[in-house]
Amino acid sequence: MTSLTSDIIFEKFEEQVNNYKRRNQYFDLLYDSISSLQIKKTRSTEDISSQNDKCGFVARTFLGSWKEYASNNISDLKLIKKKIPNVDNKGVLITEFESWKFNKEIKTKIDLLKISTDEKLQKVREIYDFIQNYSNQIVNTSILYKEFFTTRIFVNNEGCRLRQILPRVRLIIKPIAKEGSKREYDSFSIGGEMGFEIFDEINTKKLEQIAKNSLDMLATKSPPSGKFPLILDPEMTGIVAHESFGHGLEADQIIRDRSYLKDKKDKKVASDMCVICDNPSIENELGSYFFDDEGIKAAKNILVENGILKNFIYDRRTASELNGIPKGNGRRETFAHPINVRMSNTYFESGDYNLEEMITEINYGVMLVHSKFGMEDPIGGGMQCTSSKGYLIENGERTQLLSGITLSGSVLDLLQNIDAISNNKLQFHGGTCGKGNEDLVPVTSGGSYIRVKEGLISPG
Amino acid sequence: MGISLLNKIEDIIKKKKIREYEILLVENDTYETIFKKNKGENEREIFDYEYTIRTLNQKVDGTGIGIVKGCSSDSKEIEKNIDICASISKSNSDFKYEFPQKRGIPEINIADELITNDPLEVKSKLTDELISEIEQQKDVLPTFGRVRIHCKKKFLRNHNGIDLKALKTFIFVEFSLKAQSNGKLSEYWLTNYFKEISHFNIREQVEKWTKLAKDTLIAKLPKPTSKAVIIFPPHLLREAINPVIGYHILGKAHNEKTSAYKIEEKIATDNFSLLDNGLLEGGFNTNSFDGEGTPQQKNIVIKDGYFKKRLYDQKYAILDNEDSTGNGMRSIEGSIHNDISNLEILPGNISLKEIISNIKEGYYIEQFSWLNPGELSGVFGAEIRNGYYIENGKIQHPIKGGNVSGNVLKMIKSCKFISKEKEFSLNSYFPYICFTNLSISS
Repeated sequence: MTSLTSDIIFEKFEEQVNNYKRRNQYFDLLYDSISSLQIKKTRSTEDISSQNDKCGFVARTFLGSWKEYASNNISDLKLIKKKIPNVDNKGVLITEFESWKFNKEIKTKIDLLKISTDEKLQKVREIYDFIQNYSNQIVNTSILYKEFFTTRIFVNNEGCRLRQILPRVRLIIKPIAKEGSKREYDSFSIGGEMGFEIFDEINTKKLEQIAKNSLDMLATKSPPSGKFPLILDPEMTGIVAHESFGHGLEADQIIRDRSYLKDKKDKKVASDMCVICDNPSIENELGSYFFDDEGIKAAKNILVENGILKNFIYDRRTASELNGIPKGNGRRETFAHPINVRMSNTYFESGDYNLEEMITEINYGVMLVHSKFGMEDPIGGGMQCTSSKGYLIENGERTQLLSGITLSGSVLDLLQNIDAISNNKLQFHGGTCGKGNEDLVPVTSGGSYIRVKEGLISPG
Repeated sequence: MGISLLNKIEDIIKKKKIREYEILLVENDTYETIFKKNKGENEREIFDYEYTIRTLNQKVDGTGIGIVKGCSSDSKEIEKNIDICASISKSNSDFKYEFPQKRGIPEINIADELITNDPLEVKSKLTDELISEIEQQKDVLPTFGRVRIHCKKKFLRNHNGIDLKALKTFIFVEFSLKAQSNGKLSEYWLTNYFKEISHFNIREQVEKWTKLAKDTLIAKLPKPTSKAVIIFPPHLLREAINPVIGYHILGKAHNEKTSAYKIEEKIATDNFSLLDNGLLEGGFNTNSFDGEGTPQQKNIVIKDGYFKKRLYDQKYAILDNEDSTGNGMRSIEGSIHNDISNLEILPGNISLKEIISNIKEGYYIEQFSWLNPGELSGVFGAEIRNGYYIENGKIQHPIKGGNVSGNVLKMIKSCKFISKEKEFSLNSYFPYICFTNLSISS
């Protein structure tokens, strides 16, 4: 399959698509290919692995429920007819959405394909050496560089003919500091739809700061437990937007009756100052793309406006059932994984407040910094978001550095308790997100700083 | 596809006069039903294969290892992949490494004949039984679910004469049951892989999920305390023990200078003994050979609270002048990573019921939001999703919400009770353990 050009893939797909009339049934075919290079360096490892056009196709139809057949053997295209039956008069079971044609390959500032593996390895080694030599207390440094080119070709029997090639890069630096029996780290990561220019973001000053951040973690104290005024940094703000709140808006959870937000549309769910969005059409972020894996054009979706819940997040199936407008949120990890309703770049819009003022107004509270992970609770509206570190705020000033903090409680209580959002520029933090424990897709989440009158925290 | 593609790749490698090589070919057949409520929403069949080639380039002070993954059976594409692999091995500079030699491999069957004969029939029977059992439950409704059957064929060959194959079957089940009363919602959400169908007792499981979903409707918040006594069931223990203890016992952690453990150091209570058992019958990672072709083994890692043995793959074994313990696992990128196979904790001599009757005040936690402890520090803070409050030796009422904070490295130094009952959970076979040094905030 890998030796086929996109023109041949289009041609072969169209042959298949022509076997299924839209009036009788909805049918689509997706080609998925990923080529990647990963360099991982630690004290005891230097791994370089390459993946060359790992690809396959998935064909599906909707007959009241989906039927899918996927393979990475091109000769299996002829089996589609056998696996996906032809039926009559089932076309009305799912709404017909706008058909369009699109063909684009993102060009980065410095093309990754023009840079040798040796040059990339050299950059990774330089970063490793710098951090490892920064202090004797840094016992190990883990550097992970990963570039991947995702090609998606989509054809359906509504007239969609789409192709996109997205280059994505990530760089994660994790210096591990040790003192006595204490081992701590603070990691740094950047990424997005970009090229070799990712290394332009890394200079000596930045590396010193990354090393120092890990060393500082040796002096952390455990955070207090209980309810306090809180400030969340943009990473933690994003985790709340995505994990705690966004997953409950995914319309597959709505049609399953598995979301506490099902009956909250057009109702107040957050403080007046909150605007929360999902937007795959933002340029160059890790969660950005032109069309989703169902051929729907990526577009901005305002989920919450002035505290009012305005929209759910749809794929074709759920938009059809709930009469919604899909904005490109039907995503697969690869051809071998199912479509799920997924977020893309999910964030709080910035507010009007000055960050320093937000801190000054707190007598005793906690600032949560650098997100570690979060977990959804779409039915219960519970929240678990964990930061890598934080600061105590005493008499209007950031004081003691704290170790990891877990934020929990009710997400709606937290959203309604937001009393300030900073005017900082939006910041996005990239990662991968699973549906439950599986089906990982690249996403970002972010915002600016938010302040919460009171939230429940504990060491984490 | 299997053998013929393997032969084709090997022929091309040999023509290119690459002396040290290894080829891994994996074929995955997957059959899945995704449910919306109690109805099938998506029927999926996936046929996927890929190969990983590793080639070595021996250097004066180490070894260059090339790793490439591909899926094309076209000769030109295979040739291109091999060239990329050889080129990487020239750039790369790792510690001294060589592929394992051919050795005697234990014979273990890790495939269920019922599944290999007719996977669709097995899936259909399993989903019918599951839905029928769920529909018989009162006051709960399914919201969604997934049932998946996996058949995985693996072929491994290297230049030292290793030529192995394995056929593995397993199932994946995810289901959410919801209870509802007066506008209040609760659920029990299970996600798990089962190596054997017999590990997934449908009636018992569905009754348990139903009870948990219904009980959570009337759950209260736990009381805040800095000295909580908490029972962890086997599946939660896996989430705590495997990523943390399972990291610090590795040759890799030792060589990265990040292991908290020294050999013969007392690291746990006297009643705590841990094995890594790659041959465990019913273990999810049981196989006759590891990702490099080394025979998997059974090793006592912690005995009566003392750390006894590290686990090694080929590379870290060479670095520490030890033998590989068959703990070279295959990462998603195709490289070898030193990791646990299946962990076993030896049972105690007291039943779960007796453990509960011995607790004056404490908790039994069935499920956290996500425990996810820090691999190095062992620290975690996790929200309680489903659990129970215990008072005067009896379960009093369900609990939900609030956070449990602790440190896995310290937890195993306070194992108050260990049950005699043990259960499989993915790559673990653990008892119930009661710990005494955790905090709860709410």
